[in-house]
Formats: sequence, C-alpha cells, structure tokens
Amino acid sequence: MAGLAASFGSGAMTNAMGELETTDAIFIIGSNTATTHPLVATRIFRAIEKGAKLIVADPRKNQIAGFADLYIRHKPGTDVALLNGMMKVIMEKGLADEKFIAQNTEEFDAFKQGIDNFTVEEASEICSVSVKDIEALAKMYGEADRASIVYCMGITQHTNGVNNVKSLANLSMLTGNIGKIGTGVNPLRGQNNVQGACDMGGLPNVYTGYQPVTLGAANKKFAQAWGVDQLPTNIGLTIPEMFAGIENDEVKALWVMGENPVVSDPDADHVKKVLKKVELLIVQDIFLTPTAKLADVVLPGVSFAEKDGTFANTERRVMRVRKAIDPVGDSRQDWEIIQEISNRFGFEMNYDSPEDIFNEIASLTPSYGGISYERLEGVGLQWPCPTREHPGTPFLHKDGKFTRGKGLFHAITYNPPAEVIDDEYPFWMTTGRVYAHYHTGTMTRNSKSLDFEIPEGFLEINPVDAQNLDICDGHQIKMASRRGEIVTKIMITDRVDPGVVFMPFHFEETNVNKLTNPAYDPIAKIPELKVCAVKLEKA
Amino acid sequence: MDYRNTLTTCTYCGCGCNLFLESLDGKLTHTTPCKTSPVNEGKLCIKGWNVHQFVQSEKRLNKPLLRKDGKLTEVSWDEALDFTVSKLKEIKEANGSDSVGFFASAKVTNEENYLMQKFARAAIGTNSVDHCARL
Amino acid sequence: MIDIVRQKISKLLSDGSVKGVVALAMANGHVAPCLFQKEDDLEPLCLGDTKKPGDARYPLNKVLITIARQYPEDVFGVLVRGCDERGLYVLYRLNQLEPDKVMTIGIACPQELAKACECKKPYPDELVAGEKTEGITQQGVQDMEDMDLSKRFSFWKNQFSKCVKCYGCRDICPMCFCRECSLECEDIISKGELPVDIPVFHLTRAMHMTDRCIDCGLCDETCPSGIPLRLLYKKTSKIMNAEFGFTSGINKNEQSPLNLMGPAPEK
Repeated sequence: MAGLAASFGSGAMTNAMGELETTDAIFIIGSNTATTHPLVATRIFRAIEKGAKLIVADPRKNQIAGFADLYIRHKPGTDVALLNGMMKVIMEKGLADEKFIAQNTEEFDAFKQGIDNFTVEEASEICSVSVKDIEALAKMYGEADRASIVYCMGITQHTNGVNNVKSLANLSMLTGNIGKIGTGVNPLRGQNNVQGACDMGGLPNVYTGYQPVTLGAANKKFAQAWGVDQLPTNIGLTIPEMFAGIENDEVKALWVMGENPVVSDPDADHVKKVLKKVELLIVQDIFLTPTAKLADVVLPGVSFAEKDGTFANTERRVMRVRKAIDPVGDSRQDWEIIQEISNRFGFEMNYDSPEDIFNEIASLTPSYGGISYERLEGVGLQWPCPTREHPGTPFLHKDGKFTRGKGLFHAITYNPPAEVIDDEYPFWMTTGRVYAHYHTGTMTRNSKSLDFEIPEGFLEINPVDAQNLDICDGHQIKMASRRGEIVTKIMITDRVDPGVVFMPFHFEETNVNKLTNPAYDPIAKIPELKVCAVKLEKA
Repeated sequence: MDYRNTLTTCTYCGCGCNLFLESLDGKLTHTTPCKTSPVNEGKLCIKGWNVHQFVQSEKRLNKPLLRKDGKLTEVSWDEALDFTVSKLKEIKEANGSDSVGFFASAKVTNEENYLMQKFARAAIGTNSVDHCARL
Repeated sequence: MIDIVRQKISKLLSDGSVKGVVALAMANGHVAPCLFQKEDDLEPLCLGDTKKPGDARYPLNKVLITIARQYPEDVFGVLVRGCDERGLYVLYRLNQLEPDKVMTIGIACPQELAKACECKKPYPDELVAGEKTEGITQQGVQDMEDMDLSKRFSFWKNQFSKCVKCYGCRDICPMCFCRECSLECEDIISKGELPVDIPVFHLTRAMHMTDRCIDCGLCDETCPSGIPLRLLYKKTSKIMNAEFGFTSGINKNEQSPLNLMGPAPEK
C-alpha cells in the first residue's frame, strides 16, 4: 500500500470490483484470482464474455491464465523489468496519454529518463520473456480504451514490493488509465479486514484514517479525544522490528490478537525462537494455534459469527458483521476483553456496544465521518464518506484529481530478489494459496468440507524436474533453503516452469515458511515470501 | 423453535461477500449467499459456503489458559486478566512504553482494532502496533 | 398479491394449522429466508422481487427440510412458486418431507420471470395469489442442440474450465439433500486441484439431477463463474422426457422411471 500511497496519495484499491465488467482490457499480475478472490474472477469472466481482453503475467500458470488472450510467464521477482520493458514499448509506439500526463502528474521527466536508459531486450533477458511477447503485452494494455490492473501478493511480497507497485502506478498514469470508471490500479486485499485494520490505525505510523502520529495536529486531536495529556510522537515498530526488538532485549511483552505469525511469517523457526524468548506473550484467539501454544496467557475471543461490528473489504466498502449465535463456551467478545484489560490497567473505557465504539471512530476519522450503523443497513458504504449526506466513493482520483494533488511518477530500476538461485540452491521457490484453504488454516482446516478437499500440503514441480530428480507424483521430497527444511508430498504439473517450484502455506505440518526469506522491502517492511532459493532431493 | 438467518460478512478473503448464517436453536446449520449484495450477488466460493463449519468446532478455545509450571492450564477470566494486567504494568514500569508491542489483526473487526490501538497508544503509550497487512 | 399472501399466512398461523411458515422477509435492507411464527410479525414479509421479478428467490424447501428434520411432528407452511411445488412433489416421493406436514402458499410467476426462466409451468397447482401465465417453450436447449458437435463440445469445455469448485450448484439446490455426495467420491472425481475434472465433475452432477431437477434455476444464479448449469440440466431433463415421458415434479404422484426395475415404460 505504501507504493500506491506515494504515487496517488491513497493506499487502496482505486476502483470498485463491479467496474471490472466495464473495462476493455484487464491486466492481472501476481494474482491467482480465480482461487484467492473468486468473486473478482466472476467479474473478469463476465468482462471476457463482453469482449474485454485478458492479459495475465505470473510465474505460475494459474487457472485464470487459461482464459488469457496473452499469458506471460516471467521469472519470479522480475516484475519491474517486465513493466519497464512494457512502458518502453508504450512510449515508443506513441501509446502514452500525453495530455493526461501533462495535466495530472508530476516528475514524468525523471521517470522517462529511467525508461530511456532501458531496453526491451534487457527486459526480455531478465524476465526470460520474448521481446515479441513484451510488445504484445504493451500494445494490448496500451491500446485499450479503458484498461484495469489487478494485482495481489505476487507483486507486493518482494524486497522490491513497493517498487513493483509504483511501477504499476506509473503504467496506469502513463496511459491515463486511472480516475475513470473501469480503469485503475486494484490491489486485491488478502484478508477480510486488512483494509479495515489499516483504516483503524493498526499500523505503527498512523491513527485512524491514516492520520500520522508524527503530525502535531492529529496527535493533539487524539490525545484530547482519548483524555490523555500526551500521546507518543515517534513512529512505532513494525512486526519484523518487534521481532528484532525481542532479540536485543528492547521488547519484553507482545499482545497478539487473531494472528498466527508462527505459520504466516517467513523463517518460521526463527519466529518461534523469538516468541519463546519474549517475557510476556499474550495471545487472543479462537483456536489454540501454533502461536497460542507458545503463549504465557491465552484469551479466548469469538469468531465473526458471534460478534457485531464492521469489516472494510478490498474495495473500501464498510459492511456490517452481525452476531448469529452466542459465544462458544466461556469465550468473550474481543472488544470486551480489551476494555476489561484497559480498565484494570487504569485507563478507563466505558463502551456498551460495538456501535458505541464505531460512533467514536466516525467522530475522529474524516473518511469514515458520515458512516453509521444505521446507514450500513443495505449495501454498505465505500469510504471516503465524510458526511451524513455523502453517498460514498466507488472509485478514487476522479478525473485525474489525485488524493495527493498530482499523480507522482517514480523512476524505478530493476533489482534482483534478495536471494537468487546458485549451484547449491538451484530452484526458485514461490508460495501461495489453494482454493479450499485460507491463510494459516486455523479456520479452514477445522472445517470438515474444506479439510476433505485438501488435507495436506504439497509442492508443485515441473515434470522435467521431477524426472531429473527421479521422483513420482504423490511421493515425498525433501526441500531445504538456507533457513530450514521440510519434507512434503509433490504434485507434478506444468503450471510451473522447470526450475521453479510452488507450495501453499496453509499447513503447519509442512510449513513452507520455515524456508522463506525474511528479507524485507525497505519501505513497506513486507517480507519476500514470494521468492527464495531452495534445493530438492528425494526423501 | 428459534430459526434465524443472520446477514453478515464473510470472514475469509478481502472480497467481503455478504451471506446468511442459518441457525436453528443456537446451532449453525448452513450458509447461504446474499442475492441482493452488490459484492457477491448471490454467489460464494467453497470457503464461503462452508464458513459456518469451524465456528462450533470442538477444538474452539472456550476457557482462558495460563502457563503454570511450563504448561498451559485452564483458569478463570479473573485470574487470566489479573495476570495479564500485572505483567503489563510491571514490564512497562521497568522497561518503558516501547517495550510492549501489539499485533492488531486483519481478521477482527474495525471496532476491535480501533480499541487495541487506542489501548496501545493511550494506556501503554507506544505506537508499536502492526498487523499482517504485509502477509 | 402480497396482501393475499399475508392474509393467508396470518390465517394459517392464527388458527393453529401450522407451527410456522417458511417464506421471505425484508431485513437489514435485504431479502432473506425467514420462518414466520407469529401472525403479528408479518410486516417484513416479501416475495423476493427487487430489481426484477423473482430476482431474490431462495431455496425455501431446503430451509423447510432443515426445520422438519428437527421438528418432525409439526406442520409447516411454505411459500411456493411453480418450481418449488414441483420440488415438493419430488421431495415427497424421495421421503424427505411428509406431504401431510406441509401446507403450501402458492404464487404464480409473472410473464417476465416465466420468460427469463423458460419455465414450462410458471405456477403451482394450488394457487393462492397471482395470475396463471402460459408455459414457455425451451428455446435455449434447442439453440444449444443446433450447434454442431465440435462447437458444442468446445463451448461446454470452455464453460466447465471456469469452475472454481465452490459446490454452490449443489449447496443451493433444493433437491440436493444426500448425506453422502457422489461429487465427493474419490473413485469418480479427483480433488485438490483446479480446474476440476472435465467433464466428469459437471456431468456426474447432471446425471444425478436427471429425475430430480425441477428447473428453478438457483444453480445458474449462484455460479460464481457464470456456467449455464440450468441449460445443462434442462438438456438432461429433455432426454428424460424424450426417453421415458417423464418430467420431474410435473405430476404429484408420479414415480421416477429411474426408481423402477425392468424395461422402460412405454412413452
């Protein structure tokens, strides 16, 4: 999100999901849409039916790639080179929207200089994609009247994640495909309320609605509203920094609510070591997750089915969550757990319902200012929604009026991933989801029908590599990186190229995150879960 | 006889599909997609269709646990909360506000995230709040 | 029409002939399946028409089965259109509901909905409200049959390739009640990969629907990939009709030819 925030001034999906049906070309990069966001794929299938062109770029030939007019299989971690090559062609062929660039953007010259110094042949070499395909890709996107970009973690989970996103923002501005219906740069959020957690200030640098903690006015406003003399003005620690803080004895206590870093975070053995070390580990969850097993105290919260509240989806739509059944056993509402701890700690909270909390959020958050539970009956509201009369905002940056004023071009040069293959670790390994499971499997693996579909982890490997390793479909393989090793079943498939393997990360028994690389993007601090180097041998 | 269909929002991916949780006498029985939702228009994926299944799983945590002699042991809420609060106080006093870190969550509601960051910032006095937006 | 339906439900509840009525209600700004138990609570009752007639229909018979399994002694009312009533006939035949435990409140579908569904019989036998309209001939199946074979093959192959294996076609289906499902039989269908086995997955279900499908179209409406499932099942129903003179749910007491041993009955 940092990349989009820097380019446009707002780190969120620019357009609504339904608008994908109205576009002329859809460019999917780094998203296994039909598996991870099936309801977005619905719109894409409809768009194809209406005649839209589909372009898919992904190292793994996923299901929706089968419907693409053009499928590009570039090497993992080479997105910037591919996009720069594409933009080179767009500029050479005169497909850039010069009027849009002149009126609505800045720093174009610096960006142009970067592209001028790069050739399509170089892109072809780095990505292992033919010049012809890069040209076709550029033309298909560049010539469309309205074109929309869809991306997901295949773009962001890299040490170059922010640069990847900025490159996509460059591409949309270069062709004027932003600020109009059916266009835009659309990151698909992986989790039900990741948008909301960001909106609510679940980040070390901002309060709700992205109001910076370092900004005097915001700081003062929240201190006053919360009845304290002062609030900290230094930016707090990100998750990887908290782990580092525990290692060097600066962080002593950690309160983890509804997260499972032992399975979700890179270099899992290291995460486990760190969580064992921290003096106080509080885990608030609904299952005894591998993370909860390490806790000093475990507080049983409730699932979505037992609570009232709101989620914000990938298109910034705030929607109601409603209580269907009473809490299971002696578990408690998560907001009540926090309130109770706060009161015992000596900081008084007196909310009597989630709605009461929401009204306070709306009063302190301009983008949520006009939202109330009453207005959320029906179809929900897309923020920004600043006033009670405001209808909500389906797409951002209307008519090239960017949230930050003018859209900012960034000159981006290609850098390889933090870890590259070598003689010792000769395979590229990438990770992702499967259709029947979700994230660390805490919920889906406890669902009978989903566990039935896919009960265990597996490694996708190309038939050529399987033959070289003398291993059959369904057999066990030992996979190791510089950080750890696992033994897993294999699935032979040409979805992956020779030299590239793929593994889902939902399964703690075959936890692929023991192998992944914790090296992270310097700005977004997002780890490089999508690329590392591994070796394989018959188990 | 208490039969209900409760309209809510799916807890899995970021699509945010609207669905009805069907319950009969307090037990979840089925999930049905909401046809009039602009997000999913009466459709769901396999995860959504089965989203009621884990909720009343036998493996759900239903009592607070506290580590005693190295083992997680069932305790009362009072004991769990008192322990949590006294340790938080002790650590904050001995090592300062920034010695406490918080993982908010992309899984819980806006209201719950808001409350956690408020507690972190106003009560503990740290901005060290993060969540797995990056994962 | 809604007033007549409301009066009828109110009467059934007040004179104690039913324990509750399964119908649709407007709640939280959306249409939802609902069990009405008190005559005073009928204000939110609706018929599932929002932007177009019948665009918010739900499998009410499925709801009824869930409740009836838990409360087998009680009698319940249920709001039915033509397709739902056909469904009840089949469910009686398959011993999933007891006819003397069910009272229907039948409504006829308007012409627009009947046309969109290409419905053979857009009204129930026992009609409480609405005007009967003509059945519609099934042009869609004819158009599909007019495609040449290789084109038809690639059409379906392409449609099936979009499947994301949500099982929604089964899960929404008011006629699907089996505790063990052949779609989950690993001897027939492999699991764990997308796309699904083509065409085995979809044809297995189509086979299973031959004497059950009552052409309500809920499967079509719930498919996230827009696969024209209804058309597929209309085709299998057409074969059943051509071979055995049988149409699922059209005659109340008719047995399915697939339930009979021996040679096929005469057409």
